[in-house]
Amino acid sequence: MSTRLKEAFQEFWRLNVSKIGVVFLTVLVILSIYVVVSYPLDFGVRYWNNPLYWADYPKSAPPSWVNYFSNEKIPEHYTFSSIKPSNTLLTESGIRLIYLFKLDFQADKTPTFLSLTVKNVTYYDKPVIIRLNVTRPDGKNIELYRYTVPAPYVDESPPYKRFYDQSKRISLTGDLSVASILARFLSREYNVTIKPSEVNSIGQHKIIFSIPKGDTQFTVLKGDYTFYIIVDTYDSRDSVGEVKLVVGGDVYGFMGTDSLGRDLSVGLLFGFPIALFIGIVTSTITTLLGAGLGIMGGYIGGKLDEVIQRTADFVNNIPLLPLLIFLAFILGQNLWIIVFLLVVFGWPTLTIIVRSMVLQLKSGQFIEAAIAIGAPRWWIMVRHIFPQVAPFIFAQLIFFTPTFILLEAALSFLGLGDPTMPTWGQILEYGFRSGGIYVGLWWWIIPPGLLIIWTAITFVLIALGMEPVVNPRLRRMK
Amino acid sequence: MGLARTLFMRALTLITVLVLVIFFMVLVLGATGTSDKILQAMVNEEVMMLRQSLAKTIKDPQELERVINIRKQELMEFYGLTKPWYVRLPDMAWRVLTLELGKARTLKTFAGGNKVSDIVMERLTNTIILVTSATVISAIVGLVLGVRIATRVGGILDRLSSYFSAISYAIPTWWIGIILILVFAFLLRLFPFGGLYSTPPPSDPYMKFLDIIWHAVLPVTTLVIASIGVWIYTTRTIVLNTAQEDFVNAARARGLPEELVRRRYIMRVAAPPILTNVILGLATSISGAILTETVFNWPGLGRLFYDAVLVMDEVVVIALTYIFTLVYVVARFLLEVLYVILDPRVRY
Repeated sequence: MSTRLKEAFQEFWRLNVSKIGVVFLTVLVILSIYVVVSYPLDFGVRYWNNPLYWADYPKSAPPSWVNYFSNEKIPEHYTFSSIKPSNTLLTESGIRLIYLFKLDFQADKTPTFLSLTVKNVTYYDKPVIIRLNVTRPDGKNIELYRYTVPAPYVDESPPYKRFYDQSKRISLTGDLSVASILARFLSREYNVTIKPSEVNSIGQHKIIFSIPKGDTQFTVLKGDYTFYIIVDTYDSRDSVGEVKLVVGGDVYGFMGTDSLGRDLSVGLLFGFPIALFIGIVTSTITTLLGAGLGIMGGYIGGKLDEVIQRTADFVNNIPLLPLLIFLAFILGQNLWIIVFLLVVFGWPTLTIIVRSMVLQLKSGQFIEAAIAIGAPRWWIMVRHIFPQVAPFIFAQLIFFTPTFILLEAALSFLGLGDPTMPTWGQILEYGFRSGGIYVGLWWWIIPPGLLIIWTAITFVLIALGMEPVVNPRLRRMK
Repeated sequence: MGLARTLFMRALTLITVLVLVIFFMVLVLGATGTSDKILQAMVNEEVMMLRQSLAKTIKDPQELERVINIRKQELMEFYGLTKPWYVRLPDMAWRVLTLELGKARTLKTFAGGNKVSDIVMERLTNTIILVTSATVISAIVGLVLGVRIATRVGGILDRLSSYFSAISYAIPTWWIGIILILVFAFLLRLFPFGGLYSTPPPSDPYMKFLDIIWHAVLPVTTLVIASIGVWIYTTRTIVLNTAQEDFVNAARARGLPEELVRRRYIMRVAAPPILTNVILGLATSISGAILTETVFNWPGLGRLFYDAVLVMDEVVVIALTYIFTLVYVVARFLLEVLYVILDPRVRY
């Protein structure tokens, strides 16, 4: 048996398609294992479909490597965060914590937004005051923002804890107090008269990162920016857990982001184990069911065979996708239901083929010999018939896998995917539904499709490589 | 006699499929409580209309409530809502069969009506136009190329086409459509993003026809790309097998012109098995149409399916599942008639 397996493998390995297929599969499996180990199980609900988590990411941003191909440099996305102040000063009223973030800004466009986030603030005496100042490359200093942490409530006793459950995110873009500070700054430094509401519509972040040219034009100011986050405390026990400053860019990461700001590389990576799971699990169950019914029907015959054949014929004769849509719609969008439906509609093809193979085997002398020595029927089916058809069944298992991956992707694309788990089909669906293709967000549309194709091709290649191993007579004509 | 009998048997099998699908659908609808929801919506609709008309004549609110409650009870009785769902199965099946499913919740006809059967029927033509033209083009190109490749097996074209058909098995049809939009509509601005015709449509009928063709180019191309690989490969393999038969060699040996041998000896024999593959591929092309119409916003049944799922209009989803099965069954029957004509052997 082992020599037969070895020979079969050598035959398989001779072809280039097999080698490429196996290499592809190895990469797919490694990436899937990485995701299973490193991602939380509730990734879809807790992170992917939670807009709050993606608030500080740029929206619809292409991958950052597009900068290598364009003359005009698009701003990168910068996130600065710190749990320890860079400096502490003793003032008359208490301790001043200073967080310092330096940014060498060299892009040809201004950033897309600016936000400040604080987390886990504790105070004992007076509410702490948080300020944000910036020193620009031209040496000009702007006191951008001032925020007092909410005062104690009635009946509340120290320590007063703020922003422990949810961090406080302040968007400087769109903030009217920042707008009036900037309007005053422009009139003082550049003699430009502009209303705060106009600053707001131009964008606070744009004014900060540029110098005015005329009354309505602004040019980007390149160079070193220093942001100071200054926290004034009034008790030595007061503390701040974390401060974070985000200078929103217009390119992000290796794969870019979607219109909600979600990092596509994270979501696409999560799609690997799901695609493999759906493909392999569905295909395995379908193949076992289909082959089992085929062997039973073919060998036992009679009424059982008749029933199996009629059912297979019926299921084989219905248009699959409309009924799948109907059932997924009525029964609900759940990964297990989708797998179940794919199995229910997937088995007949194999049953019909396996049955006809078993009918041929049935009259073989080794079967007659087994019957003659009194072997029970199940023993003959398991020990004598199954090994004969096993290579073919295994090849079919591989061959069916891409079909199921594509069907799941199609259902997801029609909006019937499991909403708790992002798949490539769902990422594409959202890109399509929110109009991503009409404005040419290629980094959102092309990668998920390529990944689907890549996964499907892997199995097609392996199936092609297995063809000469399995009896060539049984090759599919399709 | 033989012909009629064969066709009758085929028709019977396909009608059984249709009936079983409807029965299965109704079973699922009943067991999940969806049919109750639909009938309840129909009752509520009628009660609401009754309330509006009675409110003008009956001024006493208590009297009004009483009359409406009586009528509501009657309606519940009429629609069978007082009986358990499994008793209502035949009734519900008849409703699906005749598309008497009441009103769509949000989807409308082009004119603005909301009767389910109207919404579904007016879109049927658009789907048939799309699928038929794509199938005809794939068939012609596939047959011509397949036959040509069969005469030069092992050539570059042969190897290319076999790679292509293997790869096209792994490419989602709808993604091809998206890429075509990205390239030809967004980047090159050669074709429209989608739809059936421009807004507003040209008034001149000739121009309107051209406009529709212009809009159909990308969706039809998508469907053709998706199915052409299988067409070429199937034709090539079957023609190749037939061309190696003895009677073909005998015909050549008799000195018959090659063109005649190909047409009368090879193609005539190879046609029925090729058609079998078309019949088997029918379900796939229906799926392809659903997704392609969705991508290109082609106002056919497929796009309607997507819209209905999006706005959770369950009556439309039910009607469409049924119509798609019906279209499939009818198309399959037509192909099988063609098969019987092409292959006289199946008649007996």
